[in-house]
Amino acid sequence: MTLEKLERMAQRERQRQEKFERRIFCCISTACLSAGAGQTINALQEAVDACHCKENDVEVVQTGCMGLCSRGPLVRVEDKSAETLIYADVDVDLSQQIISKHVPMRKLTDESIPEEMQELRENLKKARRRKRLEKHILGMDSPFFAKQEKIVLRNVGHLDPEKIEDYLAHGGYSALRHVLQNMTAEEVCDEILRSGLRGRGGGGYPTGLKWKSMHQEESETKFVVVNGDEGDPGAYMDRTMMEDNPHQVLEGMIIAAYAVGASYGYFYIRGEYPIAVDRIRRAIRTAHRNGILGKNVLGTDFNFDAAVRIGAGAFVCGEETALIHSVEGKRGMPRMRPPYPSTSGLWGKPTIVNNVETMANVPPIINRGADWYANIGTEQSKGTKVFALAGQLTNTGLIEVPMGISLREIVYDIGDDVPGDAEFKAAQTGGPSGGCIPHEHLDTPVDYENLSKLGSIMGSGGLVIIDSTTSMPEFARFFMDFCVDESCGKCVPCRVGTIQIRILLDKIIAGSGEPEDLNKLEDLCHIVKDTSLCGLGQSAPNPVLSTLKFFLDEYIALIPAQEPA
Amino acid sequence: MKTSSGSPTNKKQVKSEGHPSGDDRFKALDRTMKRFNFEKDSLLEVLHDTQEIFGFLSDDLLIYISTHLRVPLSQVYGVATFYHFFTFEPLGKHNCIICRGTACHVKGSDVITQALSEEFAVPIGKTTEDGLFSLTTARCIGSCGLAPVAVLNGAVHGKQTPQSMITLVKDVLEQETEVLEQGEAG
Amino acid sequence: MSGVSFNEAILELPMVTLTIDGKKIEAPANTHVLQVALKNGIEIPHLCYHPELSVSGGCRLCIVEVEGYSQPVPSCGLACTDGLVITTQGERLYELRKNVLDLFISDHPLDCVICEKAGACLLQEYAYEYGIKETTYTPTISSTLYQDDNPFFIRDHQYCILCGRCVRMCDEIVGVHAIDFAKRGFETNIATPYDGPMIESTCVFCGNCVQVCPTAALMPVSRKDKGREWELDHKTTICGYCGVGCQLEYALKGDEILYAQASPDGPVNGELLCTKGRYGWDFVLSPERLTRPLIRRDLAYELGLTSEPWEQPDTSPLADRQPKIEDYFIPVDWEMALDLVASRLAATVNEHDPDSVVGLASARCTNEENYLFQKFIRAGIGTNNVDHCARL
Ligand SMILES: Cc1cc2nc3c(=O)[nH]c(=O)nc-3n(C[C@H](O)[C@H](O)[C@H](O)COP(=O)(O)O)c2cc1C
Ligand code: SF4
Ligand code: SF4
Ligand code: SF4
Ligand code: FES
Ligand code: FES
Repeated sequence: MTLEKLERMAQRERQRQEKFERRIFCCISTACLSAGAGQTINALQEAVDACHCKENDVEVVQTGCMGLCSRGPLVRVEDKSAETLIYADVDVDLSQQIISKHVPMRKLTDESIPEEMQELRENLKKARRRKRLEKHILGMDSPFFAKQEKIVLRNVGHLDPEKIEDYLAHGGYSALRHVLQNMTAEEVCDEILRSGLRGRGGGGYPTGLKWKSMHQEESETKFVVVNGDEGDPGAYMDRTMMEDNPHQVLEGMIIAAYAVGASYGYFYIRGEYPIAVDRIRRAIRTAHRNGILGKNVLGTDFNFDAAVRIGAGAFVCGEETALIHSVEGKRGMPRMRPPYPSTSGLWGKPTIVNNVETMANVPPIINRGADWYANIGTEQSKGTKVFALAGQLTNTGLIEVPMGISLREIVYDIGDDVPGDAEFKAAQTGGPSGGCIPHEHLDTPVDYENLSKLGSIMGSGGLVIIDSTTSMPEFARFFMDFCVDESCGKCVPCRVGTIQIRILLDKIIAGSGEPEDLNKLEDLCHIVKDTSLCGLGQSAPNPVLSTLKFFLDEYIALIPAQEPA
Repeated sequence: MKTSSGSPTNKKQVKSEGHPSGDDRFKALDRTMKRFNFEKDSLLEVLHDTQEIFGFLSDDLLIYISTHLRVPLSQVYGVATFYHFFTFEPLGKHNCIICRGTACHVKGSDVITQALSEEFAVPIGKTTEDGLFSLTTARCIGSCGLAPVAVLNGAVHGKQTPQSMITLVKDVLEQETEVLEQGEAG
Repeated sequence: MSGVSFNEAILELPMVTLTIDGKKIEAPANTHVLQVALKNGIEIPHLCYHPELSVSGGCRLCIVEVEGYSQPVPSCGLACTDGLVITTQGERLYELRKNVLDLFISDHPLDCVICEKAGACLLQEYAYEYGIKETTYTPTISSTLYQDDNPFFIRDHQYCILCGRCVRMCDEIVGVHAIDFAKRGFETNIATPYDGPMIESTCVFCGNCVQVCPTAALMPVSRKDKGREWELDHKTTICGYCGVGCQLEYALKGDEILYAQASPDGPVNGELLCTKGRYGWDFVLSPERLTRPLIRRDLAYELGLTSEPWEQPDTSPLADRQPKIEDYFIPVDWEMALDLVASRLAATVNEHDPDSVVGLASARCTNEENYLFQKFIRAGIGTNNVDHCARL
């Protein structure tokens, strides 16, 4: 019953979309919105209206991130009889040019069309003669797009995130259907294990293993939690996923729940992401209405429901045990593991915590098979990784690349080098828990093991490029400031150690450091790393340690020369 | 001694009495707590909604929440002070948030913050004495592609410079004085 | 109320065998390594762990090496499993613990020379053991709040190491939750709501938080400026207030009680006391305390013990002076007092009958005294009219 209804919805939506001669997509993701996408989409719609096209000729669609956020607002034109084009920096004027170029204006003899529209029609006609448009076309074969491989983000930027029909029309919820009809919970765990999917929240723990061990827990009540806390400042992969394709994340969550035997789940979303909260809530509601959530999911005897919990500005709440405390309405202080949440989590019940991107990987894996997925990436790191590329680069934005791609390709091909006269200095991955990777290691393949070897981490996907104008000790202090702010204060090495690291950095940067301060700094970093309770403290010294390792000369230059005794 | 909130069966009728002050906003707060069935674990959600309704968390509000959710006041206080999202002072009428995430930092957001602080004589994280303008910071608002980013009265502005931000804020504050003057004239 | 034996008895947990420092030890599964080690006389430094409370894991001192793990693991939260091999001492552990202590000391004023807790402070003990004279870092004190807003204990935050024992005690055992962690990171402190006075919180002043505080952050008011730990004698006794019979010890300097605390191995109460047991002993040296028998002045006049007849003193608030105890009673020696009581009792029984007498005993008396008392009333006087106030 439900299944047929969904199938019909998908069918109808697909037919509706196919009828259009051309569809014009405008990104309304946060970055583009702040660049003026709101006006752009209005302008596009008005211009289209003014054209008085035939029915089913053109549709303006609001959609999610297309990737190149630094050039927003972005507009993509899909035309049945022409090549697909993406336009960058589309303002109101440019919108009119785009419409006048792509959309045939219906000749109207009827003089009764309103005056403003006549004016707009005149404008559109004039706009056609202007030549600005060419410069704004982004070639789909440019390295920025060509080097990417989209699995998780495949439908982001192609559908309207607020319409479940659109997701269904793109094959949405077919993985869930397949799982519920043809697979046992164990088979799902095995499939995910075989795909080699590893947690995208930073730790890189094999997702299949986590699910399996939770599947084996005997408990009436189990929980699934999607970690959308995304605390790394300078990263917005998870936000984009939740805002621009919420149903894919939800679908992954439901499959996870089925695999581990959970009947209730929570989305834990950062308080700074009101739109993501809104979209996920909406997705949950529509899923509910359509029998995808609640009692008897898709007509089977599997029951599952989900709710949203909102974070309140604490980075440490991304840590799974702190997150669990936060969902329970307590102070987000981590606790010792073991016991792991999969044994004792929310209210002492078995709980899995998975990152948003991890969940979003699940439907494609089920749809296309573990073998297909395991073919992408490197020996130990499978699939793709989404990065938020930011900092001193020509192209910044959201990218998805296969594991094992080199940093060089990301920086020089996708990012198109550092703008202006400055030079590339380092790539920072993993945010405040990660490290800086210098020029000589740019050929390192990007995967979990290789990044750790360099003293950095994969992290959740922040990738910030720093050029020669940035001082590395100061950059390290910036992260240390962050950790001092965000330490929960439970354990001494992190609570006091980060303060002392910052005091040492302050002293060195102020030019009053002594040579032995550098040793002291390094020793202290190791103590904090070795003795802290949770991942925050254990990785807080990484930015300092990695800059000490690769940019020691900058630190030494800050130490005044000793007077000979 | 029998207390009205003691038994769970009659709690619903008791809870809807509202606040003795008669402030209607408490009704909205009551609705939120009711939606969560007065569960203790909804504390964070309730604090979120409270801040949304009242603008900030006063001690009176924390006591109110503590008694209704039956969470010890010390814990409510501990939770509210743990999360930086919550504020205990009212924000200014106009609010400017400067992002100090990594991407914005690399692109010089601290210079912008400093410039605004000096120009409008307001310490970072505080509100001007006339209560018109507050200057706060945030850790990444997720528009890193447009760094450095600021949010003025809810609208996101990308690729800013100190000068451009000062101009934006000035515009907003000037409108304020115009309104005031008009008000006086009329 | 030692946690281990209780669990063992009630839950009949399966036993596992682990090795600590080469010693094979049997322990119930899922008890923690630190707990088992301490029980077997193996010392591992620990500040946040307390046997009566849940595990925190914040102080990081109890780290041990576990065979097969590359990183040291805190033993307070490490569950005992079969075949676990633990080393509690070693160069690496020594260095790490020493450095952690160094960090503790950087946020703790070195006031040991003037601190009353000196000699009983756990932080001081470990600093001594690990040879830390002062911090190698920049001393930075996170909180200097000083709160002496109640008559029972002082809260001096500069000495607080945020072990959280007090918070867990108040929440988990006392069930009051008057205090909690507030703020976060380096600014974290143990707070009443809005750091307000203790009296305005829900605190019942049981002082159990003071008992478990390892430092001088929580200290009884009564011992302030009165001497240091090694000058004090500890006398173990049973609390006289009620039938629970908590074991407690008075810390004495000479004849003066400076404070009371529970003795950890007390069989009924462990480390817990209530307000009365912990703070209700100031009557002992009170000048108003009765130390001799007294008889009423009117009776004394009748018996010829004094030549002054008795008059009701003026009790109006406007009187020149308020009446004192001497205005009603005069002191006598024990012999006279007992004789008087005996003769009057005998006369009453003879004149009326034994049932005209009732005996009320006090909870302040010992069991033995109370036994004798009821025996006296039943067998001596010959009535069953005897009762006891049960609780004070
Ligand atoms: C300080 C800290 C912050 C973290 N922040 C996040 C985060 O923002 N998002 C996230 O998904 N995982 C975060 N993690 C990792 C989580 O603890 C957890 O490992 C992850 O959510 C598991 O999901 P995965 O297996 O799908 O990666 C953080 C960990 C630490 C120690
Ligand atoms: S490492 Fe830092 S964030 Fe983690 S528990 Fe310790 S103090 Fe808290
Ligand atoms: S005295 Fe008792 S009630 Fe008061 S804070 Fe301490 S433990 Fe809690
Ligand atoms: S007051 Fe004492 S018991 Fe409480 S956290 Fe501080 S040091 Fe620990
Ligand atoms: S770093 Fe400023 S928006 Fe992300
Ligand atoms: S006693 Fe184990 S960490 Fe404090």
